[in-house]
Amino acid sequence: MELELKNVSKEFKGVHAVSDVSVSMRKGVYGLLGVNGAGKTTLMRMLCTLIRPTSGEITWEGKNILEMGAAYRDVLGYLPQDFGYYPDLSISDYMMYIASIKGIRPMAARKRTKQLLGQVGMAKYEKRKMKTLSGGMARRIGIAQAMLNNPKILVLDEPTAGLDPNERIRFRNLISELSDDRLVLLSTHIVSDVEFIANQIMLMKNGELFYEGTTEELISSMDESVWHCTVPKNKANDFMARYLVGNVKTAPKGAELRILSKEPPMEGAVREEATLEDAFLLYFGEKAGDIDDTEI
Amino acid sequence: MILRYELKKVLSKKLNRIILIGTLLAAAALSMFAVGGVSYVDREGTVHAGPASTRRLAADRSRWAGELTEDKIAQAVNSRKEIRNRYPYDIPNEEYGKTIQAYNDITDFAIDVLTPDEGWDERVLYQLEDGQAEDLYSIYEANQQKMAKEYGRTPEQRQFLEEQYSKIELPLTYAPMDSWDTILVYVETYGMILAIVVGFLAAGVFAEEFRSRADAVFFSSKYGRTKAAKSKVAAGLLIATIVYWTGMGILLLISLGIMGVSGFDTLYQIEHPYSIYVMTYGQYCLLAVLGGYIANLLAASVTMLIAAKLRSASVAVCVPFFLFCVMQFIGRALSNFLTFFKLTPDMLVNVLGCAKSINIFQIGDYVFRQIPCVMMIYFVTAVILLPFVYRSYHCYGLKKKGI
Repeated sequence: MELELKNVSKEFKGVHAVSDVSVSMRKGVYGLLGVNGAGKTTLMRMLCTLIRPTSGEITWEGKNILEMGAAYRDVLGYLPQDFGYYPDLSISDYMMYIASIKGIRPMAARKRTKQLLGQVGMAKYEKRKMKTLSGGMARRIGIAQAMLNNPKILVLDEPTAGLDPNERIRFRNLISELSDDRLVLLSTHIVSDVEFIANQIMLMKNGELFYEGTTEELISSMDESVWHCTVPKNKANDFMARYLVGNVKTAPKGAELRILSKEPPMEGAVREEATLEDAFLLYFGEKAGDIDDTEI
Repeated sequence: MILRYELKKVLSKKLNRIILIGTLLAAAALSMFAVGGVSYVDREGTVHAGPASTRRLAADRSRWAGELTEDKIAQAVNSRKEIRNRYPYDIPNEEYGKTIQAYNDITDFAIDVLTPDEGWDERVLYQLEDGQAEDLYSIYEANQQKMAKEYGRTPEQRQFLEEQYSKIELPLTYAPMDSWDTILVYVETYGMILAIVVGFLAAGVFAEEFRSRADAVFFSSKYGRTKAAKSKVAAGLLIATIVYWTGMGILLLISLGIMGVSGFDTLYQIEHPYSIYVMTYGQYCLLAVLGGYIANLLAASVTMLIAAKLRSASVAVCVPFFLFCVMQFIGRALSNFLTFFKLTPDMLVNVLGCAKSINIFQIGDYVFRQIPCVMMIYFVTAVILLPFVYRSYHCYGLKKKGI
């Protein structure tokens, strides 16, 4: 089981959305982290044969995925970032339709639909029209449809976008459940989505994949330390201008800052253990997601 | 299974269901218009319209049914002349109901025979000298030769026209054909309405993926670029076929069920003696229905292609309206391009108009008529477009080559 990208690039009217990406993926959960506009969705769309790379090649088990065509798509499950569906179909009809275009026989499709709807907690809503579903419910159907053909490759593009914190936790656990014996590629700009479930983390910026490794490797590769300190409120902005600052919390004695720096930023600063979020901050130079995102 | 769900996708949309119900109701409404459009005058001179009038009219005219011999024609013409002498300005309704109504088709036929390629002029009937009416078929045959010479620009064309006219068996056989005459107009109008509806529904088959942003899942599925795309094409054609034949079936069933089918075997030449299409009214109706079906297939193919290419139904749904409605007006306005506009798609829903006029074309020695030519061109076009529709989905997002 090997999905390999060899010097893959994609250009849109002179703009390099993805530049010379080479990576090999096997069984397990891969978290593709990057800020918005990093090229994650373009990369995923190429992996799902929706667009053709401008140059380079993507292979599955050594064969070019575009040449494999239907045989490759047979092992693929995809939940796009902008998950669209047929609003007037009921959930069960939608699932049966997707099953039909995935080449699943009606009997098996019915059985699989029932099983997956149960797994994503949507069994009791199967007669409801798709247009009546909330964002979270639609995402659950999205993952269920992606799993219909029991894919060997599961591509999830920003699967938690727009979900509330509870839904996001639930979704993360669901992905973890579904990741057995398959390759799951999960793209996100929210660190906590992949922190605990991804075996491998890939960082993407400006269309380039510049880091690949485990969470621990990524954290240990940081050449800066994490410091916790409390500064007077009127000095907080100075610190934020001088250092990479993660969390800022207002406290009675001033502002509590989480700072990335090689040296202690001030006397009394306490060194803390680095997290994936700190690594994200270091490599992308900005805080990952909004405050809610980082608190989950 | 894919096809079944493709159809379900179309039918699950409320707007589509409303349009379909409206279209079927329109068939019933047009049937009623057709039925109500025929009037019958009884012997007391009272004009009747409504469901029974066509059958009563047919019963009245049946007195003259059968072989239309020259004697029979002369009898009708002489009666008409005699009544005209009695009532030089305005014929009372009672007289019309008692006599003229029954043989009106026959005297009209005589007028048409005597005025080939000229405007309708009733006076020619009254100007006939004694014995001339008995010789109407000779005049008819002589005029056929004249028409062949006038419209045949080459020897091949002349020979072709003469051959067509030679197929008309004289004497003609007459049976009242008012139900067919009436329904033909509605068949064409309704065929045009159906083409617009079919275009709307078929465009949605290919635009829905993009409209609902379901394209990513669709194209990344195993059969998204192959079987599912083929099923979409099949769904479009199936929609065109089912909607067309259901709608048209309702229209014909209601109309002919009420008005009757008298005149099915009457030659169209009774009404248009110099038409080069030697067919009965029943055959004409079938031809008009077939023309409408080809128009519907074309509407489905074209709108599917445009919707698939543009990834939107907005432009596609307007195309059938342009092809079958607007084109007619453009054709009339741009008379310099008359030959071109004789072969435009709107002719498919104007079979009657085509049948009335002598329009022939020649390639080499081969001479052909307008209706079969138009039907052939657009049937082939509708079929040829289908692989392109499939291909635009098959290769979606992958410009270099398909997968």
